[in-house]
Amino acid sequence: MKRWWHRWFRTPKELRAMGVVGINMRNARFLLPNNPRRLYQRVDNKLMTKALAEERGLEVPLTYLVVTSPHDVAFMEKKLLAHEAFVMKPARGSGGKGVLVIDHRDGDTYVKPSGSRLTGAELRHHAENILAGLYSLGGNRDHALIEYRVTPAKVLTEISFQGAPDIRIVMLHGYPVMAMLRAATKESDGRANLHQGAIGIGIDLATGLTVRAVHHGSMITHHPDLKSPLIGVQIPYWDKILEIAVTCHEMTELGYLGVDLMVDETKGPLMIEVNARPGLAIQMANGVGLMKRLMPVVERHKLKPQESAADRIAFSREVLKARTSASA
Amino acid sequence: MSSQLRLILAVLFLCVLGIGLAVYKNRSLGVPLWVGTKATSWLVEAKVSFFHGEAAAPVTVKLALPAAAADESIGQEAGSLGFGYTTEAGLSGLKAVWSARQPSEGSHALYYRVRFPERFKTGGGGEEVKGTPPVAESPGLSGPLEKAAQGLIEKSRAVSADTDTFFTHLFLQVAKDNSAQEVLLLRRHYQNVEKVSEENLLIVMGIDLLKLAGIPARLAHGVRLDANIGPQQALPLIEYCDGATWKVKNPAQPNVSLRSENIFVWNRGGVPLLDVIGGENSKVSFTVVKDMIPLDRMNSLRDSPFLASTILSLPVSERAVFRYVVLIPLGAFVVVILRNIVGIPTLGTFMPVLLALAFLEMDLGLGIVMFAVIVAVGLYFRFLLSSMNLLVVPRVAACVVIVTMLMLLMSLISWRLGVRGVLQITLFPMIIIAWTIERMSLIWEEEGKRNAIMQVGGSVFVAVVAYLVMKVPQIQYWAQYFPELLLVLLAAILLIGRYTGYRLSELHRFRNFSES
Repeated sequence: MKRWWHRWFRTPKELRAMGVVGINMRNARFLLPNNPRRLYQRVDNKLMTKALAEERGLEVPLTYLVVTSPHDVAFMEKKLLAHEAFVMKPARGSGGKGVLVIDHRDGDTYVKPSGSRLTGAELRHHAENILAGLYSLGGNRDHALIEYRVTPAKVLTEISFQGAPDIRIVMLHGYPVMAMLRAATKESDGRANLHQGAIGIGIDLATGLTVRAVHHGSMITHHPDLKSPLIGVQIPYWDKILEIAVTCHEMTELGYLGVDLMVDETKGPLMIEVNARPGLAIQMANGVGLMKRLMPVVERHKLKPQESAADRIAFSREVLKARTSASA
Repeated sequence: MSSQLRLILAVLFLCVLGIGLAVYKNRSLGVPLWVGTKATSWLVEAKVSFFHGEAAAPVTVKLALPAAAADESIGQEAGSLGFGYTTEAGLSGLKAVWSARQPSEGSHALYYRVRFPERFKTGGGGEEVKGTPPVAESPGLSGPLEKAAQGLIEKSRAVSADTDTFFTHLFLQVAKDNSAQEVLLLRRHYQNVEKVSEENLLIVMGIDLLKLAGIPARLAHGVRLDANIGPQQALPLIEYCDGATWKVKNPAQPNVSLRSENIFVWNRGGVPLLDVIGGENSKVSFTVVKDMIPLDRMNSLRDSPFLASTILSLPVSERAVFRYVVLIPLGAFVVVILRNIVGIPTLGTFMPVLLALAFLEMDLGLGIVMFAVIVAVGLYFRFLLSSMNLLVVPRVAACVVIVTMLMLLMSLISWRLGVRGVLQITLFPMIIIAWTIERMSLIWEEEGKRNAIMQVGGSVFVAVVAYLVMKVPQIQYWAQYFPELLLVLLAAILLIGRYTGYRLSELHRFRNFSES
């Protein structure tokens, strides 16, 4: 039912009826009670997250180099000679800030996926900025992480413009709650932030099929630049992806978290990072209020606090599956 | 839920305590809850400071007091750690005398406070001459100087009817008619020969001119009744005798009466303001505070057992500082509401509060313009810097230097143009602005200029709202006289801390939300 005011806003009552979770609600009811402060460093520092993940046998992008001092910066380029493509990111960055992707080399210069070039000096300056804490939480000194650049699986490159699409799974008490795929557009310049023009694509937890795509808040069916269909795409390795997500909950012990993954052409799903403060845009991509997925999990967790990982996944796939338009 | 219960108990406790204290003050001490339209009393504090070098030497400090101090009904007190205090009534008025045989070495500060009702304002009215009328002694001018002075006096006498109008015309001539040969000659003499400093020139020269004209004249001191200027030096005034009475006037404003100028005459009678024996580098400074509540109420409030809960028992110079400090929590409260309930993005959580405090002391419109200019130009230079690939901390430091020079430049230009308010630019928190520029340029590069401008605009908007709230007289009044109400504010902040509803901005953000 479309009302005149929907052009500008929704009433709180309408949002509540749809189960939309706001920032205050997320923080007060899910983040603060379930994520004790001491656990944050496990996810805020990507080096630590990667170490934890490797302990659990999770696949992560191979670390080429950790730059910890200006001295390392001077020798950085020499050590990277063996690698054609790589990603440089701050160990304590957030929201994709300061992530630099190098697609290939051209002589002495480095080429980004967008085609723009960087000199060696510019690359070193980016590393120095990371070290100085320009992108880190709270502006503290940081380390730069240089790692394997994911070559996305073909199915996924077909629906993303230049940038590699990543999969975000939000979890509560170790139950996958909602999933989405973020695909870059020309406008978003290879980045996966929805408010910068990336596409949010909802994924059915039960099957791993994409069910809905949202660009700038409105529903679309095809990629605006590539014209490829966005609905009904099967995410490869879906079972494994859910397992990785659940393992991330176990290794970080965070009650409420978002797991970011990428699917590599040859290596399969790789865990990229864990986020202790996952955003709310995932609701828009799926067209489902988070509350509708979170409440069944809260009930279930009260009932069976010690459920096994396999049972949790089974519960999510069964109870939290997307309602297809046929069944709705 | 136990945390819920704890919160409710804490909120109730804070509210009961805060409101209870306020009601007690209102009911039992009679402090009015609502701000009156006018200041009902003034509090002027003189602070004598000096350095004592030799531990063994005795020290005597004499401070001339306003004539009003002899009046018992006027609230007055002296603060002096380790010094004996008495008052001394002499021929030429009252003096405060502090003395100590062996005060400790180092800097000392002595306080004298006088509190008087509004109607009492000037203390500079006519004072009848006692005994024989005074005779003006010759100022000892000679030769061309005397001629020049006589010329000036003749001119003024020709256009005046009595001593008062003579005074007015004389000083109008001296002040405005700068190009007149006589004035120039006299000025040069006092500057170069008598070595009189620029600010005292008018007073010294004026007194000599009056004496030459046969009018007895002497130095007096006043205090500007302006709560906004902070610690001030005594303002030199001239006291002259028209035959029957002694009158005080400000030679810088010869045609304005002291009452409408808001000057309180501190001492008259030609005695020195301050006399320190045994100390060095002595000086006296004055601080003025407006009290919005009646004098007798004020006294009962200060003597109440809840003295600790008010800032009214502090020395006046400290109270003047607290005038703005007590407003900071209000600014923080506005930030909490606008961020957590409305959902306005800002650059740096409490940066808007600092900005609002700066706005409080300057004109709002001018403040916003100056902020915009500094940030815009700073941002331009920041982009120039970014091509040099500087490290982060030196880059921000460079930004601080640029912001500082910008402030200097803007002050200079506006001074030339005659816009005075711009000098207040120094009130801006510079380091914070430099960081704002740095953060803004990063957002500009990473998320686009729209986001950068939105966030800075959001910060300015929040600052303006905080400014408007802090500016309300009733709120300033409560913050100053009922600081315990801050406990209620704290309770409100705690409650908002548990608010789980939607932010207003989210109603807009999710406007397209539809269930599939």
